[in-house]
Formats: sequence, structure tokens, C-alpha cells
Amino acid sequence: MSLEIQNLHVRIEEREILRGLDLTVRKGETHALMGPNGSGKSTLANTIMGNPNYEVTEGRILFNGEDLTEADPDERARAGLFMAFQYPATIPGVSVANFLRMAVNARREEPIKVKEFGAMLGEHMELLKIDRAFTSRYLNEGFSGGEKKRAEILQMAMLKPEIAVLDETDSGLDIDALRIVSGGVDALRGPDMGSLIITHYTRILDYIKPDFVHIMLDGRIVREGGAELADTLEDQGYDFIREEVAAADAS
Amino acid sequence: MPASSADWLADARRAALEAYEAEPVPTWRRSGFWTTSLRDLDVAALEPRRYEPVAGRDALPAVVTDALDDEPGALIVQRGGSTIHLDVDAELVEQGVVVCSLEQAVAEHGDLVREWYMRRLSASEGKFPAATAAFWTGGVFVHVPKNVRVARPIQSVYVIDEPGTVQYAHTLAIVGEHAECAIREYCLGDDIDGQALHAGAFELYARPGARAKVAHFQDWGRSEIYDISTKRVEIARDAFVSWVPVHLGGRLTKQALDIVTAEPGSDMRHTGLYFTERDEHLDLFTTDLHEAGHTTGDTVWKGALTGNSRASYEGLIEIVENAQESHTYLQTHQMLLSQKAKGDAIPSLIVKTDSVSASHGGTVGELDEEQIFYMMSRGISRIEAVRTLVEGYFEEVVQRLDDPGLEQLVRRRIGEKLLAAEDQVQEFVGHRAGAVQGA
Repeated sequence: MSLEIQNLHVRIEEREILRGLDLTVRKGETHALMGPNGSGKSTLANTIMGNPNYEVTEGRILFNGEDLTEADPDERARAGLFMAFQYPATIPGVSVANFLRMAVNARREEPIKVKEFGAMLGEHMELLKIDRAFTSRYLNEGFSGGEKKRAEILQMAMLKPEIAVLDETDSGLDIDALRIVSGGVDALRGPDMGSLIITHYTRILDYIKPDFVHIMLDGRIVREGGAELADTLEDQGYDFIREEVAAADAS
Repeated sequence: MPASSADWLADARRAALEAYEAEPVPTWRRSGFWTTSLRDLDVAALEPRRYEPVAGRDALPAVVTDALDDEPGALIVQRGGSTIHLDVDAELVEQGVVVCSLEQAVAEHGDLVREWYMRRLSASEGKFPAATAAFWTGGVFVHVPKNVRVARPIQSVYVIDEPGTVQYAHTLAIVGEHAECAIREYCLGDDIDGQALHAGAFELYARPGARAKVAHFQDWGRSEIYDISTKRVEIARDAFVSWVPVHLGGRLTKQALDIVTAEPGSDMRHTGLYFTERDEHLDLFTTDLHEAGHTTGDTVWKGALTGNSRASYEGLIEIVENAQESHTYLQTHQMLLSQKAKGDAIPSLIVKTDSVSASHGGTVGELDEEQIFYMMSRGISRIEAVRTLVEGYFEEVVQRLDDPGLEQLVRRRIGEKLLAAEDQVQEFVGHRAGAVQGA
């Protein structure tokens, strides 16, 4: 059970953003993908999920051995992929509860029973300290940054993906919100889910200890290691890595 | 003419007939590409038709019973040129509420009708208002007396189910001082093979302190039914009217929908919805007229277009001289769901006084690819995402109906229309995604 990305090249509007990226995330593993702005992190997340604005020019995305490079986003989601958006879209007129039910039912033969759905929702809302009234609001309409991110993680909890990509879930959150959101993510970790946590900063990794850390620069992964790599980055910054990579390329 | 027609009415009809004969069949042109023309309608071939009353509610045409889903306080149905059904709850009769055909009201409540009849409408507004004033038959009259509160909605229906017919309709409603009621008017068409015309007039007067909920539900169906109507609502001192016109079908619709806050303290909420498909042509002009100071208004109109349809919404806020301290705003949105549909949504403003607040905004847009991608990333198919987004877009205005039965009906009809347009919506959205990808 794994997400395998092989030699991925991606373009958006004639500009090559990803330039030969390889990455494997297995179920049960937690990976952190770090990189400065513009390194291609969000492009990777969007490409994994099949955003039609991103064009794959080379390479493939395999999920449990199946090639999903050309698959529609809904197919990928039903196969077990999930992405928590950095900037989730607003869905006017559709309540959080209705949206969740629709998403849950999209991967089932028979629609979920009202009682079962309610119980599941209640349990996950407690985990994320979400108020009951929240579920009748229109999804993301007028939500604060923290509420949007909590709604993303609530969806992740309800949909139980095999592999989840979290695109800068920590950005724009104050410490309290970060603690709740990352606590929620941490609680959902387990042998049945793998995750790829995309972040610019190391602070979310204080709450979610990664098994692997990857550092991205200019559309490629340039450094890989364990949790300690994040500490090195925290101490020395992206410039240090950039210089190191430039030196290696020159030699 | 029915024998009961009073002399004053005969005089009014005669004057209207003169106006009718003097006026040419109009073509409505506006700056830009927009023209509403009746060149495809063979008016001369149409004639009014009378029908016998039906035995009971169950004997009404199916297109009517399909739309009515609850127990109304009163129900009056006009088929073609004749009132075919009238049923008023005993409780309403006891309260002194009058619901009957306008013909009957002229005979039985002549003074009251005469006092209000066409106060805000005029036969000199054009060919069709003149025709309606000259030729209406049947008609609907509603009077809710002072201080009376009517619990269940008063419902009137105009139905057309025969080709070659013209229906001249006139509804007059008076909601008395501090009275409260809900009025729903349906315009329903059956699938007919040929042309028909509904030329209608609607006038409602909310007297001081009254509160009224008014809904118009128009679905002329898939036939070649034309609708040229004028609807006007006047709100007196400290009264409130929530008015929700819903347009869900008709070959060509040309309507003026005006709401007048006429005296200090009068307040209104005006919410409109339209969905056009196939070759339908919809041309709406609404006016939010503030004739006095300290009046308030809130107008929201939303539409969606599929097929080859055309829809134009123009909304005017007008605040007259000396109407200080009026506060109002108007928003209009339009969503294009097919490549061939064309429309516009134009808000405008005439303010002849100071110390008021009036704002307006309009958008014409397409579905947002980002929203679709977001929903698909949750496993929802593209077409279901599109349907949900369109339904969600309308939800704000549907809820302003504040009437569960009617809300349900509107949601159901929108759902059916989206289903019918599935292929083109899919194709349109797919086309756009492809275009982005290729860029």
C-alpha cells in the first residue's frame, strides 16, 4: 500500500515547476516535505490530487501499483488519496454536514445511515474541538483560517484515506489552532494511514514527529533523512541547503 | 363581458381598448445586443378560451395538482379565460377574508375593487398592459381585512394547457392595515403543441402596518408559451412585504416587476430566481422605487442559464426627491452553464435626494473550476459537483421563500433542469478545464 511518485515533471502555463521528483510514501509512514516558497511543494500536492491546471509532462504517479497519472481527482479520492488544501474553496449553500455526507457516500455503494454518520461525525468533531453549530454552516463560507483547517482535517478524519497529503495545513494558524489541528492529525496517524505533511516551517513537526523528512528545492528533492534533518534545517535555514546543493552541482 | 361588470369598469375597459388599438406591438431594445421581439409569436392566431368549472380539486389539470403540495387556506384556479375552481377555508370566510375571481369581486365588492383597481397600473404603459386591462376575464381578488392574520397561504393559479389560446389575467390583492398573510401565485403551463400567450397584471397593496409574504412561481413548461406581464407591489407606512418571484420556464418572458416603498417606515425584501434552458428568452426589469423617506429595501436576484437560452435582468433602484433616510441595496448574479447561453445582469441607480444609502452590484460568471476540483478531490463526481454548486448558489434565494413546501418545489424543479442539462454542463466545464490545461 503506497503512493509512488516517479521522475515527475510538471508544468503550469509553460513553466516547468517539478523537474524530476521521486518520492514514496507507504501506509503507516509520516513524511514531512519541506522547502522554501516557490520550490514546488504545492504543485506536487495539486498534481498528486489531479488538479487539471497542472500538466504532467513526464513521469508517473502510482497508487497501490496502479497508474493514476491521468486519473480524474474524484477517482484518486475514491482510491484512497486525500489532500488537505492550503486554501480550501468556499462552497456556498452546502452545509459542512451535507458536504461530508456527500463525500462519504461517494465511496460507498449504499448511502451511510443517518445514525452511523452522526456518531462518526460527533466523534471526530470532539477530537478537533469543533462546535455542533459548525456543521450547519456553509462549507468554508466566512470561516476563519483556523476553522478552514479544522474543516479540512475533519474531512480527512471522516474519509479515512490511505494516504493523505497535507498542504501547508499549519500556515496561517495561531499556536492554539496549530495545537488542535496538529493534535487531530497526530491522533489519526496509525498503521492504516500514510501522510505527507508539506510545510514551510518546522513548528508543526513539534507536534507531529515525522519518520522521514524531504527537502525540496527548485522542483526536486535535494535532501532526505529522518526527523533530525528538520532540526538541521531549523538551525541553518534553507540558504545553507541551497549553498550545499549548488556546491555539489558545481563539483 | 359578464353581466356583473359595473359601468366604471366598462369605461375603464373602453379606454384601455383605445390605448390597445393605438399601440403597435412593441419590440424592446436596450443598449448593446439585447432585443426582445415577438416576431415569432403569431398574436392574431390566438384567442381566449372559456372553460367550465371542475368538480373539485382532484379534477384540476395534473400540471396544477403536481405543483400544489399542501393544504392552502384558499385556492383559486383560472384555466384559460375562466375561473374553474375556488375553495376558501371556512375559517377565512369567518375572518372576513375575500378570495374570489375579480369578476365576482366587481359584482359583490364593487366599491372596494373600484377603490384599488389599477391604482398602480395603467393601460397607457404599452400594448400588452392595455390589452390586459381591456380584455381580462376571470381574474383573482384577495382582500385580507384590517387586523386579520391568515395562517395558511392564499394560492392562486393561472394555467394554460391548450395551444392557440391567450390568457388575459388580472390579480388584485389588498392586505389591510396590520393584517398578515402569505400569497402564492402560480403560472403553470402544460406541454402543448403550439403557441399560447399569458398577458398578466398583478397589483398588491400592503396597507399600513401589514406584513405579507408574496411568491410568484412561474413555470410555463417546455411549450411555446409567451408571458408579458406587469407586477407591482405597493407598501404603505410601516408595512413589510417579502416578495419572491421565481421564473422557471417559458418560451419568452417579458416582465416588469416593481416594488414601491411608498410611505415612511415601509420596508421590503425582494428576492428573485430564474433558470433558463433550451431556446428560452427571459427579459426582466425590476424597479425598487422609494417614494418616501425612511424606507428600506433589500433586493437579491440570481439566475442560471443553460442551453441556447437568453436571460437579461435589469434592476433599478430609484429614490425620489425628498426621500431622505432611505436605505436600500440590490445585488444580482448570473451563472452561465453552457457555451451558447447569453445573458446579462445590470443594476442601476437613480437617486434624486441626499442622505440616503443605496448600493448595487452585479456579476455574470461561470462555474468556478477551483470549487469543482475541491469537490472532486473528495471523491464527488464532476457532474454531481456541478449540480451541488448550482443548487448551493441558488440556496440563498430559495431559503428567502421562507415556505418549506414551495422551497421543496423550487429545489426539485432546479434539480430536474440540471439533470436535463447534464451533458452540456459537463461538456462546457470539461471544455474550460481543457482550455486551461492547454494554455
